[in-house]
Amino acid sequence: MHIVVCVKQVPDTTEVKVNPETGTLIREGVPSVINPFDQFAIEEGLRLRDKVGGEVTVISMGPPQAKAVIQLGLALGADRGILLTDRAFAGADTLSTAYTLAKAIQKLGKVDLVLCGMQAVDGDTAQVGPGLASTLKIPQITYAETVDVTEGKVRARRTIEDYNEVVETRLPALCTMTTPSNFVPTDPPFSKIQKAKKKPYEEWTANTIGADPEKLGLKGSPTWVKKVYAAQTKEKAIIIKGSADETVAKLVEILKKEHFL
Amino acid sequence: MEEWFFTEEQQMYRESLRKHLAKLITAKVVEHMEETREIPKETIKGMADFELSCPLVSEEYGGAGIDLVTAGIIGEEIGRADPTGSTAVYFLVPAAWSRMIFLYGTKKAKEELLPQMTKGTIWCGIATTEADTGSDLGSMKTTISPKDGGYLVKGAKTYISGVREASTMGGGHVTLARQTLDKGVRGCTLFYMPLKDTPGIKIFQDREMGREGISTGGFHIDDVKIPKHYLIGEENKGFYIVHEGYEAARGIIACVCSGAALKALENAIAYVTERKAFGQPLARYQGIQFPLAEHWSRMMMVRDWAYKSLRIMQQEKEKKATRFESSQAIAMAKLWAPLWAFDAINFAMQVQGAYGYSLECTEQKSLRAIRSFGWAEGTSEVMRLIIARELLGKDHKGY
Amino acid sequence: MLKVKDSCTGCGKCEKTCPFGAIKVENKKAVVQDNCNLCGGCVQVCPFDSLELERKVEKKDFTNYTGLWVFTEVKEDGTVRNATLELLSKGKELATELGQDLCAVLLGSNVGELAGVLARYGAKRVYIVDQPELKEYNTDAYSTIIIGLITKHKPNIVIIPATPLGRDLAPRIASTLEVGLTADCTGLSIKDGLLLQTRPAFGGNIMADIMSPNTRPQMATVRPNVMKMAEPVEGARCEVVREKVSIERGLLRVKVVERTRTSMPGEKNIDEADMIVSGGRGACDEGNLRLIEELAKVMGAAVGCSRAVVDLGIKPKSHQVGQSGKTVSPKLYLVAGVSGAIQHLVGMKSSDVIIAINKDPDATIFQVAKYGVIGDLYELLPKLTEAIKRERGL
Repeated sequence: MHIVVCVKQVPDTTEVKVNPETGTLIREGVPSVINPFDQFAIEEGLRLRDKVGGEVTVISMGPPQAKAVIQLGLALGADRGILLTDRAFAGADTLSTAYTLAKAIQKLGKVDLVLCGMQAVDGDTAQVGPGLASTLKIPQITYAETVDVTEGKVRARRTIEDYNEVVETRLPALCTMTTPSNFVPTDPPFSKIQKAKKKPYEEWTANTIGADPEKLGLKGSPTWVKKVYAAQTKEKAIIIKGSADETVAKLVEILKKEHFL
Repeated sequence: MEEWFFTEEQQMYRESLRKHLAKLITAKVVEHMEETREIPKETIKGMADFELSCPLVSEEYGGAGIDLVTAGIIGEEIGRADPTGSTAVYFLVPAAWSRMIFLYGTKKAKEELLPQMTKGTIWCGIATTEADTGSDLGSMKTTISPKDGGYLVKGAKTYISGVREASTMGGGHVTLARQTLDKGVRGCTLFYMPLKDTPGIKIFQDREMGREGISTGGFHIDDVKIPKHYLIGEENKGFYIVHEGYEAARGIIACVCSGAALKALENAIAYVTERKAFGQPLARYQGIQFPLAEHWSRMMMVRDWAYKSLRIMQQEKEKKATRFESSQAIAMAKLWAPLWAFDAINFAMQVQGAYGYSLECTEQKSLRAIRSFGWAEGTSEVMRLIIARELLGKDHKGY
Repeated sequence: MLKVKDSCTGCGKCEKTCPFGAIKVENKKAVVQDNCNLCGGCVQVCPFDSLELERKVEKKDFTNYTGLWVFTEVKEDGTVRNATLELLSKGKELATELGQDLCAVLLGSNVGELAGVLARYGAKRVYIVDQPELKEYNTDAYSTIIIGLITKHKPNIVIIPATPLGRDLAPRIASTLEVGLTADCTGLSIKDGLLLQTRPAFGGNIMADIMSPNTRPQMATVRPNVMKMAEPVEGARCEVVREKVSIERGLLRVKVVERTRTSMPGEKNIDEADMIVSGGRGACDEGNLRLIEELAKVMGAAVGCSRAVVDLGIKPKSHQVGQSGKTVSPKLYLVAGVSGAIQHLVGMKSSDVIIAINKDPDATIFQVAKYGVIGDLYELLPKLTEAIKRERGL
């Protein structure tokens, strides 16, 4: 069984700060990490591979330093790693990214299951997964917490708002993964990092995948970002201290004032 | 800034290790080690599972087969992660000394001991110090003599790390004793001595200023029989090889000190940028900036040098450097790292005022731990002698 | 253009699958009929990869694209989800500014009556596809049909609530149509005749203004609980356009095998609540969230919680607020025992009024709160509950 996992390198959004004067992101000194949902997707893919046999390919579209997330995928146990990197990809929105990944996956030949993280923690759109499935003409299961494969079908458990669901579809299919409560990302020990060195790693360009230049990067992106600015910084909180009774009395005042009582 | 010293794999490993240690050595675990003076079993297992037990030993015996620079990386990261220093010692002592069994032990001993050591199920320490003898190894009173196809050992060792670990879970110490008494250091033999259930061994434990998660103590050796295959290297030639064990430990110690001090300075920076006095953050005062700049530059420089010295030691194995070059380089790292780290951590404590003195403060714990590295695995005084010896030549040896 | 390649074997799967009867097998080859609307349903299922959709953006004259469409999400109980009504309310403003029609798209089974509700919230026209197979949401069926409707009727703008359903559906549609889609908008307006879409990114640390000038329809998913719901206009009517489609089983590729409710029926859903009382690990000392629940009850609020509470098995995930739970923006978010990890803040910081209770004065939750209470929740919550009971005469 051939499983492809799509991953992205993102800035560590817990560390990102905004320059209050220019409204732009302060990216210096912010470490780049693997999108947390993508690491889970890799580990699910590996678990499936170990259960039913097959191969896991990790693929990412990004600048040259995104090599690190492919290497991490290989160190976690993936069999093959591919970085799609080309200046032509720069500025791609979700449509163009889905197109580019689709072209690469099509080049890989027989693919049974594509796994993606549910969304990237920088863009937060959750659009590439379904867009990719659509372009590959395969069914999608979003918000999966765990996947299982039997007899040519993939079965996923998901929690959607007020329901737990088990859904199923025939392979080939695509699942977007959300981390379950008890997921702790694996850190590869030394031996696995050493082994990763020997695994096949390639860098593919727009030419390699035979992409239509009109559909790449900014050119291929129908959504245009017009402006980026800092989210409105809230005023400092009004602090209430004192004895329990005083505090409760003040709170009741506030609730009344704000029309909640 | 592009990394020029570490390979891609080493950088990747450092990131993975840092994340993992943060999970293993939590604030709760640190408190536990301070309160109970023991490293929690799950933490020890976690470290073993992450291939941190005796990783300098090759894969043939279950070790991770890392090189000395990578061992330094582990040292630095544990130095950062554990302010008590207990897990740092728990890592570096077996790492350095199991390597001696690996390089110079008999096949039988290696097959018997190393697979357990690399799993972390038995201890491997070092025992050379005695009540009356530290640096002056030629005056040790513990003796070893051939007897009945093996050896008989008599004497006592003190200030030894891991006596409780070795006597409860198993394992022992790479030990130095005198075989040919009138030859001083040229008559010393290095061997492995198990502690658990060994007739004639009586252990005792001390209380220490810091790093109490790892035990320190000693043992009386009352006519203890040692099988022949526990000999390490050749009889009477122990002194010539015991240096390698010390040097690996010293290089890693310099990295541990760098990690601990840099972390303490980072904590200090976070503190002084928040804390205000007389209308502005402490960070704005030159009285804070000047010492911070000095401590930071010293620690960054000695950190670099520590890795370089480990690289030179690695090169010595590849015949690309002499053992004198590596001894001197390691001694330079080991001389300054603990001294400068102590000062840096002391500064980090000072900027935090009264809080720095409380048992809650991380820097206070770190200071107590790092102080031990001024004498552990070789005193700073001996380091100066080694460096000077290489500069002035054997004719002007200061000892 | 839908192209049939030489590799077509005339197996007929496309004919069976096409909801609009727009492709038929003649002489062992598939032939595209005149009424094909490029929905792409057949392309998805062709076993021989013999069908290809070619979309050429012929000209950038979009004057024949008119109308603002809102997707209607129907709840389990057959009513229209609030998020849709919020979008209709906002959509009315935008449509009026553009001088175009506000329409709703409604798919389901026995949903005809809902047209009335949609009309009262401003819809001038409702496109209804009402068939038993559409009772439950299905990605393939819903996306294919909506793509067909869009291609046929050419709306200028299509907005969809950014619920899990909406976020599953919208990118599927946008990708097939190759148009711009902006996710999770918190603001919509018209600028130079185009839809200006405002949304948060980087965990809510920045805002971005986005436009899709060169593709139609302009698509966006919109975060629930942000747009204000207007007052319904009693007696308002709308035009109803019914479309009939045939839905072949083969088109419904994903099947729901099992479905269990995690929240108690009748329990207030945090998605649509005006007020939420929320608790974190700090409120779970007794192994339950009792104090939070009691306060919520007397206030008539929904109960929310942090991930830690779900991890402890105290509350089901349907109550979880945060990055991997739900994003809420109620009028009041009263939270106790949550320190304020970024993953939680992301899910609630756009609430109108945040009151935070924590005994640690440095807790990060205070950075997003309007009112910060430094105190012990075990003391404060019961007293507050009593005080509110008295105020409300309960």
